[in-house]
Amino acid sequence: MRMPDTTNRSALNDDGLFAQAFPPVAMFVIMIAAWQTVISAFAIPVYVLPSPGDIWLAIVNNPGPLFRHSGITLFEAVAGFVIGSMMGAVLGTLFAYSKFVARGLLPYVIAANTIPVVAVAPIIIIWFGHGLSSKVAVTAFLSFFPLALNMMKGLLSYDRTIMDVFHIAAATGPQRFFKMRLPNALPYVFVGLKLNVTFSVIGAIVAEFVQADKGLGFVIMTSYRTLNMPRLWAAMLMSALIGMAFFAIISMLERLIVPWHSSLHDNR
Amino acid sequence: MNAASSLVNISGLSLIYGAKQEAPVQALSDIDLAIDEGSFVSLIGPSGCGKSTLLRVLGDLLPPTDGTVSIGGKRPLDARLDRQIGFVFQEPALLEWRNILDNIALPLELRGVSRAERDSKAMDLISLVGLDGFERVWPRQLSGGMRQRAAIARALSTDPRILLLDEPFGALDQITRDRLNMELARIHEITGITVVLVTHSIREAVLLSDRIVVMTPRPGRISKIFDVDLDRPRSLRSRADERFDAYVRLGSDELEKGYADA
Repeated sequence: MRMPDTTNRSALNDDGLFAQAFPPVAMFVIMIAAWQTVISAFAIPVYVLPSPGDIWLAIVNNPGPLFRHSGITLFEAVAGFVIGSMMGAVLGTLFAYSKFVARGLLPYVIAANTIPVVAVAPIIIIWFGHGLSSKVAVTAFLSFFPLALNMMKGLLSYDRTIMDVFHIAAATGPQRFFKMRLPNALPYVFVGLKLNVTFSVIGAIVAEFVQADKGLGFVIMTSYRTLNMPRLWAAMLMSALIGMAFFAIISMLERLIVPWHSSLHDNR
Repeated sequence: MNAASSLVNISGLSLIYGAKQEAPVQALSDIDLAIDEGSFVSLIGPSGCGKSTLLRVLGDLLPPTDGTVSIGGKRPLDARLDRQIGFVFQEPALLEWRNILDNIALPLELRGVSRAERDSKAMDLISLVGLDGFERVWPRQLSGGMRQRAAIARALSTDPRILLLDEPFGALDQITRDRLNMELARIHEITGITVVLVTHSIREAVLLSDRIVVMTPRPGRISKIFDVDLDRPRSLRSRADERFDAYVRLGSDELEKGYADA
């Protein structure tokens, strides 16, 4: 018998750094070039579509405020993400362990989940005031449901035969939770966390739309009112960068915490 | 056979699923069976004959409706709590987030055995089941047959007195199955552990067993018990022994009688 090659994972992940990084960089250059060309060729006015150069100038001419506002939004997104995800995980665990609570609350949780965040945000801002805490609360509200539902699903989706293995081994209740159901739930938890990365940036910006004097949502609103479109695009770019960096961190954590999971190894 | 040498004693055992509901199903009816310490016994019969149910009662995974079961003088519950039962299921049921070593050491870990001690025990078992070199590998990287070897090693980790196997090789191809049969025969030979194997295959049962218990369905009953007197240690060449075919015929005839009744 030979050792299987444990280093062989997937075509997407295990090529060299260059092979991984080259395609997105190349595409970026091509898209920027095409964008700039189209604007020059058709003389598109800047308020319709600013050129990459306009957006770049909007960033570098006055970078301080833009980065300060980005920092505010980043803080709101991360704080809301952490608080909402933790609360969601606790409720999801409760759902998994109590049929009564799950049956009683799940319909309302799902109903609440379908309410558009723009409708909820003003209410939360009334409750939590005009500072950062209300933005964090809106973000937490959005981050809550994906974790609650995925945590519950993960804790309930264990293999019945593995439960029998634990029974034969005379495992205690806490052992069953920490050595079987929780590790089994982790891939689901990461599905929820990755959804929350997107939701938390959306939540923070939407809350800032409703009421704020700082943050990227505030920058976007004020830029729109003054038709300063390069600045609006710059803010949009910053929010995308925040989301991407955040997503990359969560993906890295996933590789560290659930390296065994098949979704990380599938050949795509 | 005398009572003193039997490890398992089952008498008057019956099990009814949904006894308090409208349509109860009698899965086992009036089972009497003694299993000698150190022997290899196979339970065989068609689907629905209760062979897996009987095995699950022995493993304390199902409570009987009536009758008594003792393993080494203890109720299955106490035998299980004393970690005297090893159980291998049809699926390997390994934890995919643990490497093979940590999977095999799981029952010891649950019991609170120290890391050094359980690792050394697990390494011995890895050698016993022929998985040397695979201790740090994830279960998903192994073939079905190798995963089932790991499941057998895990079942043996607490040094149980009895090893219960519920159609452990049913999902494997014939060649892998032959190899694992020989592994199991060798493990039985080396450790002297009492083995109860549930199987669909009369040839597998004859190849491995000292004694074969044939069961019939509706309700699950024992229709015949016969000893298999083939030379030990068993090997795949045991199948060339003319007595092998005679035992297979004997078992097959008995199984067909069961089908005819049903």
